[in-house]
Amino acid sequence: MAKHQVAVIGTGQTKFKTHFPDKNYVELTQDAAKLAMDDAGVTPDDIDAIVFSMAPTQFMGVNDCDRWATSHVWGTGKPFMRVHTGGATGGSAFQAGYFHVASGVYRTVLVVGADRVAETPDAQHVLNLIWDRFYEHDFALNTVTMTALAAQRYMHRYGTTEEQFARVVVRSRGNAMGNPYAHLKGKITVDDVMNSPRVSYPYKRFDICPRSSGAAAVVLSNLAVAEEKCTRPAFVNGVSSITHSVFMGDRMGLWSETDFEDHDGFYLAARDCYRQAGITDPVKQIQVAELYDPFSTFQFPQMESLGFCGRGEGASKSDEGAWNLDGEIAVCPSGGTLCTNPIGVTGLVRAIDAANQVMGKSGDIQVKGVKNAVATAIGGSTQFFTCSILGDEPVAGRNA
Amino acid sequence: MDVFVMGLAVHPPASRIADKRLEEMVFDTARAALDDAGVHRSQIDHVTIAGCDELDGRSISSMLLAAPSGALLKDEVKCTDSGLTAFCLGAMKVESEVLDLGLVVSWSKPSTAPVEDVMRMRCEPFFTRPIGINMSIADGLFAQGLAEAYGIDETDATQAVIEACGRAVRNPRGMGRAAPPASQIAASPYLAAPLRKGHQAPITDGAVAMVLASAKWLSANPNARPLARVAGIGWRNEEFDLGRDRLTALAGFRAAIEDAVEMAGLESAGDLDLLELDCQTGWHAAAYEAALGHDVPLLTPSGGAFAQNPYFCMGLINAAEAVLQVSDRAGPLQIAGASLAGAHGSHGFAQQAHVAAIFERV
Repeated sequence: MAKHQVAVIGTGQTKFKTHFPDKNYVELTQDAAKLAMDDAGVTPDDIDAIVFSMAPTQFMGVNDCDRWATSHVWGTGKPFMRVHTGGATGGSAFQAGYFHVASGVYRTVLVVGADRVAETPDAQHVLNLIWDRFYEHDFALNTVTMTALAAQRYMHRYGTTEEQFARVVVRSRGNAMGNPYAHLKGKITVDDVMNSPRVSYPYKRFDICPRSSGAAAVVLSNLAVAEEKCTRPAFVNGVSSITHSVFMGDRMGLWSETDFEDHDGFYLAARDCYRQAGITDPVKQIQVAELYDPFSTFQFPQMESLGFCGRGEGASKSDEGAWNLDGEIAVCPSGGTLCTNPIGVTGLVRAIDAANQVMGKSGDIQVKGVKNAVATAIGGSTQFFTCSILGDEPVAGRNA
Repeated sequence: MDVFVMGLAVHPPASRIADKRLEEMVFDTARAALDDAGVHRSQIDHVTIAGCDELDGRSISSMLLAAPSGALLKDEVKCTDSGLTAFCLGAMKVESEVLDLGLVVSWSKPSTAPVEDVMRMRCEPFFTRPIGINMSIADGLFAQGLAEAYGIDETDATQAVIEACGRAVRNPRGMGRAAPPASQIAASPYLAAPLRKGHQAPITDGAVAMVLASAKWLSANPNARPLARVAGIGWRNEEFDLGRDRLTALAGFRAAIEDAVEMAGLESAGDLDLLELDCQTGWHAAAYEAALGHDVPLLTPSGGAFAQNPYFCMGLINAAEAVLQVSDRAGPLQIAGASLAGAHGSHGFAQQAHVAAIFERV
């Protein structure tokens, strides 16, 4: 149980699209920061410290671009730090901001970031550079081929079909139609997904997220500030992260304790997060899951590891409609990462969309009666896992 | 803060550590810190690491380096600012009472990286990058500003280098380089006037790790002996643009130290027995001393960056030196009776950001 209760009191995000020809990187960060502060009813003077969310800077081409953005997010003269855990960066930044407040060191913290993934002509070439220079670059490994291997293993193990993954894409694009910030959206069919160009088995183009640009921000505070500024905050009742080995080969086979295609880190992360938040039955107690799912194959193993169904049951649950907006649990009502992936802030967007559901301000994608929502993020070689629980009530017994 | 340093390790520095891969350096250092604390990796519940992708040469360097840092199947996060910034985040994680026992690990192996190219790519693409600003030029502008604001000249900068090297040569954790004669420094080439090559602390390879524990963990492990209490932390950013005020006010430096001093319940930095400063050049050493005013503790007895200078984690190296002082383990550098020691780090163009931590004898 944290020393100080933490709450989300304001959120902000820009629309996400491939290019922003009319704004540069730091102007995007400023837009998101202002939106979040306006939403929270605070001014830059009310912000005690800033956490910057940015993954590899090679996509947008300025090393340590957070330093360039310092003044644009009103960070001059303030405590300011950047965290980076690859695709999990937004989740890690959200949690770093949480610890600023939970420790009692600061009362009000802005978490902000932006990405422009399409600034580079080939993001997957940059993502090949995450691998070992001597042993792995030449295998054409990137995040598409890496996760395709995991998807093949999942299909082999549990008998999942490409059509079942395609139904996830159809649901996500449909959900995104109600999200004004989503990058990809629309009514599509399973055939549309199946007939899109093959990229890397089992992936077709529609199984893969877009390269998105845009910015996001959230204002976190302690309980006293939340009570003063916000009538309906989202309380951060649990945070956890788990880091696994970079080597996928060490996460499979007879001698491995876990298996990489199961998104195994979430098994540990979720249980710690649920313990903090007092969640004993996630299916009954959690109404929304905003997942880090840049590929159609990510929802099934992730939902299984998060405890929403048994191993290998994800595809059938999805087919039954259990994860529709009106199902057992609404999975990615925003359209999720499949529809929008500004890598440096994707995990933060997941936390924002989860918080907005708890705060009752999700507009056309609002799910009724949300008491708890879970937000996830994944980075590296599907090795960094973050899990956060937001609730409509603070966990009892915490300090202001 | 109710945060305690249980153990630490500083990797032996070298201009170029050629007999180990970076992950071996990191593993050896993290393992040595755990051994120093007398704890096993299975006991820790989190790791906070600090690394620079661009200097490490990988887009997400923590993919490879998290496990050697001890983070396999642990809560882990990477801070990209500096080693001492990661220390502040690690301390907050422990102070939150969510996590109890963790490692802070940072490294820098710039011998394998084109440092000035990395720094040049920190420039934004519209104004500063086209004119070719890099670290040396930014430091040269900084030195020009300091010369005007504090009346520091080349003689002062040279003297600061000689004094720092005189302390550094006694540091058993340093490179053991003797101080160069003033004439040699004065004859070294200008990198960006008035900054000469001889004014710079030579960059080295290195790594450092610390084990942090909560008061709750200490209560549950009564046989464990902490080395120091973390009394205060502070960090501040200044603006990116290298304007006159930004270069001369040293506002971030003063504010970061004031934050740490206030959290520690002290009146001023003068209440410290010593303060280890991150001085990348003789100009910085002279300027920081001037900025502290009359209330100056003993400054940088370790020799700081002139003893070893693994650029990215220099602030955390300073923190290790400060902990060694308040735990009577500083060896030939030991200040008798040191009970409050401060550490400072900086990062970014012309020291855009400053970090400070204060350690108290327990």
